[in-house]
Amino acid sequence: MIEFKNVSLKYPNGHQGLKNINLKINDGEFVVIVGMSGAGKSSLIRSINRMVTPTEGKILVDDQDIITFNEKKLRKLRTEVGMIFQSYNLVKRMSVLRNVLAGRLGHTGTIRSMLGLFPQKDIQFALDNLDRVSIHEKAYTRADQLSGGQQQRVSIARVLTQQPKVILADEPVASLDPPTSHKVMKDLKRVSREDNLTTIVNLHFIDMAQEYADRIIGLRDGEVVFDGPIDQVTEKTFEEIYGRPIKEDDLLGGDDD
Amino acid sequence: MNEKPIVSLRQARTNKSKFYLYTIVFILSAIYIIGLFTTPFSVSGSAASPLDTLRRIFIVPLTDMEYIVQFPVYIGYMIETVAIAYAGVTVATILAVPVAFLAARNVTKRYSYVGKALLNAIRAVPELIFAIIFVAAVGIGPYAGVLAISINSIGMLGKLYAEVIESIDQSNVDAIKASGGNRIQAMWYGVLPQVLPEFSSYSIYRFEIDVRASTVLGIVGAGGIGAPLILATYQRSWEDVGMILIVVVVFVSLIDLISGKIRKRLV
Repeated sequence: MIEFKNVSLKYPNGHQGLKNINLKINDGEFVVIVGMSGAGKSSLIRSINRMVTPTEGKILVDDQDIITFNEKKLRKLRTEVGMIFQSYNLVKRMSVLRNVLAGRLGHTGTIRSMLGLFPQKDIQFALDNLDRVSIHEKAYTRADQLSGGQQQRVSIARVLTQQPKVILADEPVASLDPPTSHKVMKDLKRVSREDNLTTIVNLHFIDMAQEYADRIIGLRDGEVVFDGPIDQVTEKTFEEIYGRPIKEDDLLGGDDD
Repeated sequence: MNEKPIVSLRQARTNKSKFYLYTIVFILSAIYIIGLFTTPFSVSGSAASPLDTLRRIFIVPLTDMEYIVQFPVYIGYMIETVAIAYAGVTVATILAVPVAFLAARNVTKRYSYVGKALLNAIRAVPELIFAIIFVAAVGIGPYAGVLAISINSIGMLGKLYAEVIESIDQSNVDAIKASGGNRIQAMWYGVLPQVLPEFSSYSIYRFEIDVRASTVLGIVGAGGIGAPLILATYQRSWEDVGMILIVVVVFVSLIDLISGKIRKRLV
């Protein structure tokens, strides 16, 4: 379980990223965070693995306050909380399989990983995860030869390979076209269901949020302005979150099935 | 029909910037004019005709059998020259990596000026000076040449490597840190794959430069083909000078050609 208690985040430049956030996210939930750009979605999600550090309050992950964690505990936390990025963040010159195995680094000794001596069962596991996102046959291709959608699926496989309890996805489909976005979201939803992973996704397209979320959290100016299960969400809810009427631009469309 | 005002592509100059511009142009022209009128352009006479000297340098060594048979000797010297450059650049490649990380702004933050100052100091000294120092320190021979070449190459390679490190895509490093990897793993899996091809490319490029630089090191006794070259010029033995130059030109061109091909495939 992830719990935010009075969490605020003020950046050194004075920008208030988060304001007094109180949230409880249960195990196995698929939560989508919506809000306009600059609303604090990234700050919220990156607080959970301490890629940014809140300046006030507590964040409890399995009842431990992660804000007090030192570097060693932080690395342990990060092996359990996987992250997917908007720009995939793959090493472009490395093969797909090596990129996926990079997810095992937190579980692998330094010298072993420097020599590339991953245990056979890890390599097998990495291949299995590539299979789950159906790009098994690209294992030995260089990452930069893949399309955007394929690269994002590699990064899903990388996250699965680190065997996390939680997946954080920061705008995972913002650089993809509509049909590819839906494919990637479907893969993400499916694997997180299968492995019963808590998944927190930032999205700014409201139709996507409605289609994939179990629960929606709305942010505006660093504050939670909506929090509820998907069946309570209507177009009106989004207008409240965005603070303006819904426009064509807020919809992605393009789901072909 | 309303006339549109003419729009200039360039922002209009202020009077101040005009003044600076004209002052700079004036000073530069003055320097050129003074230079032009104070340089003596007269050619002092010599016993040998220039045409004959050129013939002895470029034609005789290639046509006279007496000289053609001597080519293997100079090829031997040239191989030593290439070996000096190779050993020097290998040492420099290894030593430049830590210095480059020290000098990279995104690694050592504000302490990077320490590494940068070190690299600048090295680059400010010409390799011939290093060669003279090392000949004095370790004696005449190729060892002094290797030391001179390697120290000098660290200056350039360190700076180029540091620039490569500064321009890397930090997002890979973030991804590895976000999955629980430690600093060394982040460096090994996030930084190295990005910088290695460019590092090797710069090292090969520097090898080209070092082959050329090593050919003159012999002048101060640091080994290689420079020693017979300087000897031959002192003795006005233009046929030998010609043979040496031909060997140098062929080797340098070949190395440039090969290294260019390799570098194209690397990056």
